[in-house]
Amino acid sequence: MSNTAIREIDNTANDPSRRPLWIVGENDFTSVTETVCRITEQPKPPRAWYIAFAISSALTGMLFVMIAYLIAVGIGVWGVNIPVSWGFAIINFVFWVGIGHAGTLISAILFLLRQKWRTSINRFAEAMTIFAVACAGIFPAIHIGRAWLAYWLFPYPNQMAMWPNFRSPLLWDVFAVSTYATVSMMFWYVGMIPDLATLRDRAKTRVRQIAYGIAALGWRGSHRHWHRHEYAYLILAGLATPLVVSVHSVVSFDFAVSLLPGWHTTIFPPYFVAGAIFSGFAMVVTLIVPARQYFGLKEIVSLRHLENMNKIILVTGTIVGYAYSIEFFIAWYGGNAYESFAFINRAFGPYAWAYWTMVSCNVLAPQLFWFKKCRVTPWIMVIVCIFVNIGMWFERFVIVITSLHRDFLPSSWGYYAPTWVDVLTFIGSFGLFFTLFLLFCRYLPMVAMAEVKTVMPQAGLEHGHHRGVGDYHGEIPHAHEPEYWEKG
Amino acid sequence: MSAIEPITLSEDQLQLHPLGRSLFRKAGIVGVVALAFTFVVSLFTADLRERFFFSYLLNFTYFLSLSLGALFFVALQHLTRSGWSVVVRRLAEFIAANVVLLAGLFVVVLLGLTHLYHWLDAEHVAQDSLLQHKQPYLNLPFFLIRCVFYFAVWSWLSRYYLTKSVELDESGDVNLTLRMERISAPGMILYALTVTFAAFDLLMSLDAHWFSTIFGVYYFTGGFVGFVSLLALLAILLQKSGRLRHAITAEHYHDLGKLMFAFIFFWGYIAFSQFMLIWYANIPEETGWFFQRQSGGWGWIGLILIFGHFILPFLGLLSRYVKRRKKPLAFWAVWILLMHWIDLYWLILPEYGQEWFFFHSVLDIGCFIGIGGLFLACACYLARDRALIPLKDPRLQESLTFENA
Repeated sequence: MSNTAIREIDNTANDPSRRPLWIVGENDFTSVTETVCRITEQPKPPRAWYIAFAISSALTGMLFVMIAYLIAVGIGVWGVNIPVSWGFAIINFVFWVGIGHAGTLISAILFLLRQKWRTSINRFAEAMTIFAVACAGIFPAIHIGRAWLAYWLFPYPNQMAMWPNFRSPLLWDVFAVSTYATVSMMFWYVGMIPDLATLRDRAKTRVRQIAYGIAALGWRGSHRHWHRHEYAYLILAGLATPLVVSVHSVVSFDFAVSLLPGWHTTIFPPYFVAGAIFSGFAMVVTLIVPARQYFGLKEIVSLRHLENMNKIILVTGTIVGYAYSIEFFIAWYGGNAYESFAFINRAFGPYAWAYWTMVSCNVLAPQLFWFKKCRVTPWIMVIVCIFVNIGMWFERFVIVITSLHRDFLPSSWGYYAPTWVDVLTFIGSFGLFFTLFLLFCRYLPMVAMAEVKTVMPQAGLEHGHHRGVGDYHGEIPHAHEPEYWEKG
Repeated sequence: MSAIEPITLSEDQLQLHPLGRSLFRKAGIVGVVALAFTFVVSLFTADLRERFFFSYLLNFTYFLSLSLGALFFVALQHLTRSGWSVVVRRLAEFIAANVVLLAGLFVVVLLGLTHLYHWLDAEHVAQDSLLQHKQPYLNLPFFLIRCVFYFAVWSWLSRYYLTKSVELDESGDVNLTLRMERISAPGMILYALTVTFAAFDLLMSLDAHWFSTIFGVYYFTGGFVGFVSLLALLAILLQKSGRLRHAITAEHYHDLGKLMFAFIFFWGYIAFSQFMLIWYANIPEETGWFFQRQSGGWGWIGLILIFGHFILPFLGLLSRYVKRRKKPLAFWAVWILLMHWIDLYWLILPEYGQEWFFFHSVLDIGCFIGIGGLFLACACYLARDRALIPLKDPRLQESLTFENA
């Protein structure tokens, strides 16, 4: 199965006079369908898949054991205690929500920006988004103490006449994250319908035919179906775009609406969004490099795709570095003794090791992507992206822990350390993420085949004759709408 | 697909000439006269003299933000190797290069520094421990050094794009495009830092007690949405005068309209982030700035901004119909340009004080016409014998023929 023999074709050269080919090699529509469908259609997945699945589902089991232990014994099994009452759970929540930002950015924002390269990676990234948000959702739910009453977070009429506190950003999180999860899932599914129909039509067994048939919602590929589908997709992209920004903005409000030095600063919302996209793309690159190698997708997810993602990582990493610097500057400029203490304490206090880990991984590591060699060499980019992921986890660690551990009352200062339950729960969440991810790789089309085909030269959309016989189309692009914008 | 009329650019009027020369002369004269008149009015009383510098700063930072928006637009197009925007990029290059004019006009701000910035008043600083704390940053020599640096970076970067782009008109050498692309990435970093600190220095330090980490982004966003509106307006006016009639199509207006829409929304997001976080935390050292902008008549201007700078244009630009038609798009472009001005008015003028009388507005409008006239004249001068589109840009064909799906 493993197609490691496929050589890497370099399509990263830049010629301004022509647009690059995204799908490299000798590919046509049939070969794209074959390559993508084959992964789910072979009777048995390769042994490595079984091994990975065994490990990740064991870790998932561990996650649920830890949760059961937590619920049975209580929050005391974690390392949180006054003054650090938010520990691993909140860090992991913000970390996973952040990871879940690349998918919808690629599907929605890059779609609106007409970035054709998104087609090869959007399905993959969206799936990752949904799994990451699922992991994220667990942490606040188990953090509330009595997890079996988590549904009280939703405002619904009840005989106790009790309502959640609408002024609390934690409640805004409930709405923001659940809306995001819903729309992302819908977006992912709507985009997948034509590909599910392809799998249905190619099914060799009755079970597959029925399963994919139900999932494909009766898709026939008629013009009308396509027309409605593309309209729905465009509208969902428009709706998902503000959500990409709003979710992590609301997560940042959890911190920024407080009075706490190091948390309360106005740049938090856009800075959190940039950080989320940064970590999300890093995770996509980390996973897609082995996946394309292993599942023979090197011609569909080309080096140029990877290079573009690395450029986005460089941009967002630099924005994060900008936010760190401006925060530091204003902490001094503002002249508030507590604020400057919080920042000096971050950089030189007991958690300096975490702060400098964060700075090196988030700000320094991505600078390697200024060099083209690093942007197009798979093993280098994976290492850089793993560092970015580590750095982004530590960013949340630094924000949550350092602002809390030395509060306004020096006699209550303390040093937070996680317990083994904290650590195993966090590791277990990776298990859940990878379990879902491996199931996705096995059973669903990993690449949006129908969309990829539209950016191939065979689709004829690039230099099609439908643009007319002349060199340019001027004010009268189509005869049926003569100068209609002139009328205003 | 319906038939398409084949039209070639060779039939198109691609020069500002002969309109440019007369416009240059008229706008230049109007600008100089308006500034001179405003200056004379300001001599009547000491109060007006001080107010003049506030009016001047308001309009100076307004046109500066438009030029900086243009510079960002040009750099962004190169950074992302955009194709759609080629036919409007030259106009942006002219507006960006206007920053050289603004560097000259900055001298007047320098003359009024002591009227504008209370941290320059040694007696005042002596009684204010917070201002003493900020002395290492907020002092005259360092302030001047920073300003020289900002204008040097902006002038150099905008001239670079304009000259290389014009060179490309002659030679058609794609290496020039590659060079412009290459400079854009480090250029963006310099841009972000200079615009942020310029916003801190010129606007935020008017109230040197107050601080907000998002302030640089706020100033940038307003300027960018203002510039995109200006660009749409310029394109419409040029087409009305018979220029670029074939080059610019409804597709370009559609995309410019989308950018206006997106950045109106983004402005609302940034403004909300700044306000909501400060309101919610309710710390006196931060709320003072907003408190001043909510008392007296300023609260009304705040409401005008919420509706006029966010909600109404958001609803107005939502429709595809509006974005693809010149008249409604021109309406919203003028509207946003006006709102951006009111936004800066709301940022700057509360620092002058609560009282208002007729001649204050004379100064505001006089300075607007003055700096605006010179701004227009300078743009005409830059466009004097240059084509209005990059004639041999390697992506020109793509820009001419692209369609919104």
